[in-house]
Amino acid sequence: MQTWDKRETEVTEGKSSYVREGVPSYLDERRHSQVGRSVPKVDAAAKVRGEAVYADDMTLPNMLYGKIKRCKEYAHAKIKKIDCSKALALPGVFAVLTGDEAPNKWGIVPHSCNETVLAIDKVRFYGEGVAAVAAIDEETAEAALDLIEVEYEPLPALLDPFESMARANEVVIHETNPDNIAFHGNQIYGDVDKAFAECEYVLEREFKTGMPQHGFIEPQSALASFDPHNGRLHLWSSNQVPHYLHRQLSIVTEIPMSKIRVTIPTVGGGFGGKGEACPNEFAACILSRKTGRPVKITYERSEVFFTSKGRHPCHMKMKIGIDKDGYIQAVDFDNTMDKGAYASWGVVVMFYTGSMVHLPYKIPNVRSYLRNVYTNKPSSGALRGLGGVQPRLAMEVMLDEMAEMMGISPYELKMKNAVVSGYTAANNMYVPHTEYKRCLETAVEKSSYLEKHGKLPFGKGIGLAGGNYISGTAYTLYQNYKPHTTVVLRVDTEGGVTVQCACTDIGQGVDTVIAQFTAEALGVYFEDVHVVVRDTETATFDLGTFASRLTYATGTAVKAAAEPINQKLKEIAGQKLGCRADQLIIKDHKIYSMYETKKTMSWDEAVDIATSTVGTLVGVGHFSPPRRKGIDIVTGNRIQGGNIGHSPTFGFSCQIHEVEVDVETGRIRVKKVTEAGDMGTPVNPMAADGQVEGSIVYNMGAALYEDQVIGADGRHLNPNFHDYKMPTSMEMPDMFINTLKDSYDPTAPFGAKETGEGAVQPTFPAITNAVYDAIGIRFYQVPITPEMVLRALKEKKEKEAGCGA
Amino acid sequence: MYTNEFEYLAPTTPAEAFELVGRLGSKARILAGGTDLVVLMKDKLTSPEYVIDIKNIKEFKGIKYELGKGMTIGATTKISEVQYSEIVQEKYPALAYAASQLGGTQVRHMGTIGGNTCNASPSGETPTPLVALGAKVVLSSAAGERELPLEDFITGVRRLDLKEGEILTRFILPEPSPKSVSRYTYAGARDAMEIDCVNMAVNFELEDDKETIKYVKFVLGSVFIKPLVSKEVPALLIGQKFSDALVEKAVAAAQGEAKPISDVRASEWYRNEMVGNLTRRLLKEAFAAAREV
Amino acid sequence: MKQQISLDINGRVYDLVISHRDLLVDVLRKKLGLTGTKKGCGNGDCAACTVQVDGEPTLSCLTLAISCQGKKIITVEGLAQPGGALHPIQEAFVNQGAIQCGYCTPGMVMSAKALLDKNPKPTLEEIKLAISGNLCRCTGYKRIIEAIEIAAATMSAQEVK
Ligand SMILES: Cc1cc2nc3c(=O)[nH]c(=O)nc-3n(C[C@H](O)[C@H](O)[C@H](O)COP(=O)(O)OP(=O)(O)OC[C@H]3O[C@@H](n4cnc5c(N)ncnc54)[C@H](O)[C@@H]3O)c2cc1C
Ligand code: FES
Ligand code: FES
Repeated sequence: MQTWDKRETEVTEGKSSYVREGVPSYLDERRHSQVGRSVPKVDAAAKVRGEAVYADDMTLPNMLYGKIKRCKEYAHAKIKKIDCSKALALPGVFAVLTGDEAPNKWGIVPHSCNETVLAIDKVRFYGEGVAAVAAIDEETAEAALDLIEVEYEPLPALLDPFESMARANEVVIHETNPDNIAFHGNQIYGDVDKAFAECEYVLEREFKTGMPQHGFIEPQSALASFDPHNGRLHLWSSNQVPHYLHRQLSIVTEIPMSKIRVTIPTVGGGFGGKGEACPNEFAACILSRKTGRPVKITYERSEVFFTSKGRHPCHMKMKIGIDKDGYIQAVDFDNTMDKGAYASWGVVVMFYTGSMVHLPYKIPNVRSYLRNVYTNKPSSGALRGLGGVQPRLAMEVMLDEMAEMMGISPYELKMKNAVVSGYTAANNMYVPHTEYKRCLETAVEKSSYLEKHGKLPFGKGIGLAGGNYISGTAYTLYQNYKPHTTVVLRVDTEGGVTVQCACTDIGQGVDTVIAQFTAEALGVYFEDVHVVVRDTETATFDLGTFASRLTYATGTAVKAAAEPINQKLKEIAGQKLGCRADQLIIKDHKIYSMYETKKTMSWDEAVDIATSTVGTLVGVGHFSPPRRKGIDIVTGNRIQGGNIGHSPTFGFSCQIHEVEVDVETGRIRVKKVTEAGDMGTPVNPMAADGQVEGSIVYNMGAALYEDQVIGADGRHLNPNFHDYKMPTSMEMPDMFINTLKDSYDPTAPFGAKETGEGAVQPTFPAITNAVYDAIGIRFYQVPITPEMVLRALKEKKEKEAGCGA
Repeated sequence: MYTNEFEYLAPTTPAEAFELVGRLGSKARILAGGTDLVVLMKDKLTSPEYVIDIKNIKEFKGIKYELGKGMTIGATTKISEVQYSEIVQEKYPALAYAASQLGGTQVRHMGTIGGNTCNASPSGETPTPLVALGAKVVLSSAAGERELPLEDFITGVRRLDLKEGEILTRFILPEPSPKSVSRYTYAGARDAMEIDCVNMAVNFELEDDKETIKYVKFVLGSVFIKPLVSKEVPALLIGQKFSDALVEKAVAAAQGEAKPISDVRASEWYRNEMVGNLTRRLLKEAFAAAREV
Repeated sequence: MKQQISLDINGRVYDLVISHRDLLVDVLRKKLGLTGTKKGCGNGDCAACTVQVDGEPTLSCLTLAISCQGKKIITVEGLAQPGGALHPIQEAFVNQGAIQCGYCTPGMVMSAKALLDKNPKPTLEEIKLAISGNLCRCTGYKRIIEAIEIAAATMSAQEVK
């Protein structure tokens, strides 16, 4: 068991056996002592004591409580009239707010901002906010909502993207998009038709995915305090993108960014759902400005369901061509997505679904036709592994099926086509490093897949699927060249080591990871590092928690920030020890010559000297990802490839699921999962494995039962955890996580890539393939509900009986 | 979400409780574990002026069994107590098992068996086995007591034959016939926290030949407005030798009797299929068990 | 209706004025500032709000505060050991990596405590059952279950309550 006092023995014991062949150990940049430690999270003790402060745990003097009135009558209606006079007259009510008071549009992607804080003129989904109140307590605020009178004129509700496109001549959801299509795009690489013509095996299938939501347990909560004397606004909110929130707040409130401070308290899960601004944040700010008092708005669970922007339901067609030697030659992909009511991350997710087809297999010819269509449903947006899991389902299930056509194992087919380090995809996505083949090998070996596949008794099955995900993005959502992350390190005798960066821990553990990076980079212990994070004023710039970007981004920036500090300390030590600064190594609180161990001085002494002579040491480091598109300004050649999908590097994994199908109830139970993942260096192996375990159970839910149900009139039928069913401890499979501990991406900081979203990718298809192995029925849709299983079994039985007759 | 303002009353004796319930009538709601009532009140589906908490009345709690006479279960006995009671497990296994499948641990420690019946949700977990086991309810008021078979007490979705002034105080379960077995089963998407889309219970006994069915009471839940006591399944089975063909007839009969609906949890089609498949499973399980006693 | 009542929380008796309708979770969080108890759904479905009432794991979001008079309430704040040390259950959660976002954690810890108080040597199945009403969206439960197993062993060895 790890305890903090044991750190020194652990550090030396754990690493002394490590020797890399061909590299002198003193020069081996992979000999880490703080990266690779399974330390408990920096905030774990506070959380387990109930002392970590989440947004709704906060109160400020004189604080009011806000609530939002929602349209529970219709999914699509004109607002004829809103009368708040009775609500305002209720004792204890301080202010009401309607949409027209805050008309500036917001949205995470600037060119498609189309949401207002509260609906103006028209509601576009069931549960959309139409007014807000601030009152002395929540009970009064809630009572006031009932006194707000709204008159609607119902409009037809469009609940299916195909219907929405077909009926655009009668019903338009946004005036800006007369065809009801939010976005569309085509990406064509190579000559797909020619390639198909030359293929030996060609298969085409249609797929459909459900509408899961993030399911974080902490509802959104925002506390705003506007100071009328200096015009400054301070917002504390449960959000995973403080920077983008900051920008949106400025646009909506028309307060300059420099007068707005966003602080993120402890966040109780995000999974993408807190990856953009949320109406409660704006409403709290505006109500605070109106009343001159702090205002807090915390959502009910039902409001979380109405407003959080979950996974896009996708209707996909995929066609894959494989040549006679078993190499994939072409993929044709067509995706119609259900955008729901507002734009959100829609354009990004849409292009991701196209980009994600290009990995983790080598495919020379790829064509994607993509469209994202407005409907009168809760908006879709960013959800863990966005844009990846839907096409992954399609491709991994089809490769399973094609392997069967070809009479080979799916494993063999996938190994043959798997990408290797240094691969550049048809769309110019570059993979500097991958251990995907080893992921496949390891999972197959550890699970005895080859011995079991196709050989288990009816009702039991095993399924394999692989996947990958980005480790950060290449571009900001608004046109800009600024660094995506800035880290400031501070070292002196008073504060010891402090790292500042407005990166946001939502449970995934970046606070701990950045402390480990800082400790490694400065040659001290993880326990020495103070982290100052999640604040746009006291911490330095970071784009936010999405796209599995933080490990890579903060790691790079920390390394850069440590350089000037280390240089100064080495110069000081060099003078004292009488050696060259560039031959000194700083590690484990010591500064020593790489050639002569007796030339050693303590790091603390060097810091003492530095503080006394030059004062506090500060280092600044930035991270700017490589840009991989546009015109080569030297050659004039156009570098093809969309904005979206490029990443500095990628994480990979393979999952093998073993399922049991109850043929009487149609229930599928996942019994065992064997996983092998390439995340580069696992910075904190315990936390990393925790991410993987969480990911598996997470997407198991949406593979089997999690789905938001929308009624024929557009009503949300299960906005609660009673009927929106997420996995409980009873459904947890046995999980065997085989993270490749020696994976190391030489292009990545400390060799580390991502795992927070990559590990959700293979789950849908691995389960689907296992179900096929169990009962001989291939599903092209998730969730695979008991009802679908039972129907399919019945049809199969009838067909077989029919054949026999 | 908040409930309306109300006055909370917590009588400690049956007499006080009867007096309050009698006097306040429809202005009051009875509170047991609150796992249904508080949710309904938060959703403003009911907004009583008074809430009468009957959990502090010890006469309404507890499990008593007397050999040969059967069992009484106080209305405010916690679901968890029913689940873990060794004597319930031994004598009325269908009930103990059903109790163990209700909600999660916390809900079972808070919720009461009386509340589960009085909530009168068609998908309720314990009414189904209770009816199968021949339970009667005792309805008490200042005026006295009356007994009613449970299947007559629940009259529809959230509807009871509970007169103003009455409290459900206990369940009476007859001593099970020594050769009988009881079994319960259900279908849902998960293994915990699941509101059943179909549940069913059977009380089953064989003749000494271990082949011929002597007695069957077969009850379906979640497929009608109240627990559905099958008439046709016993009519088909009693006096017959158990066989697969006979079970198939019973399956068809059960499917004919069930009147399921489609909702967010399952479609009518699926519920009907489940009635069939679970009937088959449950009868076979009961038969196998009955051969062993 | 408002009334003055006394509540015994973590061994301390609080006198406070409440409304009859006030739920225990709101009294703990808003009136007493004991914000360790979390609210994830307010409907009994997530168990983030679990506290012990007379030893039983109880959903504070469905419990009227007034009905807790004369009972012993323990919240996550009440697990602190002398000198501020972590309770063995808490210690195991920290060391096993059973905590990610931490929002489910207080409820999980309290469910685990209610289990181990009654059943010091639970089986794996009993542990799973005890937390089956507690939703955790981050961890996939594995490390939480392991932490409870380890805590059970430590507590039996140390005879901790
Ligand atoms: C998360 C969650 C999961 C659940 N899962 C299930 C499940 O799987 N299966 C299931 O069946 N139920 C489930 N329930 C519903 C509920 O827990 C049970 O119905 C429980 O048994 C109700 O008991 P109670 O004591 O809490 O009832 P209360 O909420 O106290 O009362 C329920 C109703 O009965 C009335 N009442 C209670 N006692 C009496 C009495 N003695 N005389 C007259 N009227 C009375 C009340 O006025 C009220 O109308 C769940 C609830 C929650 C919150
Ligand atoms: S908040 Fe009480 S169960 Fe979710
Ligand atoms: S740790 Fe986040 S919900 Fe459990």
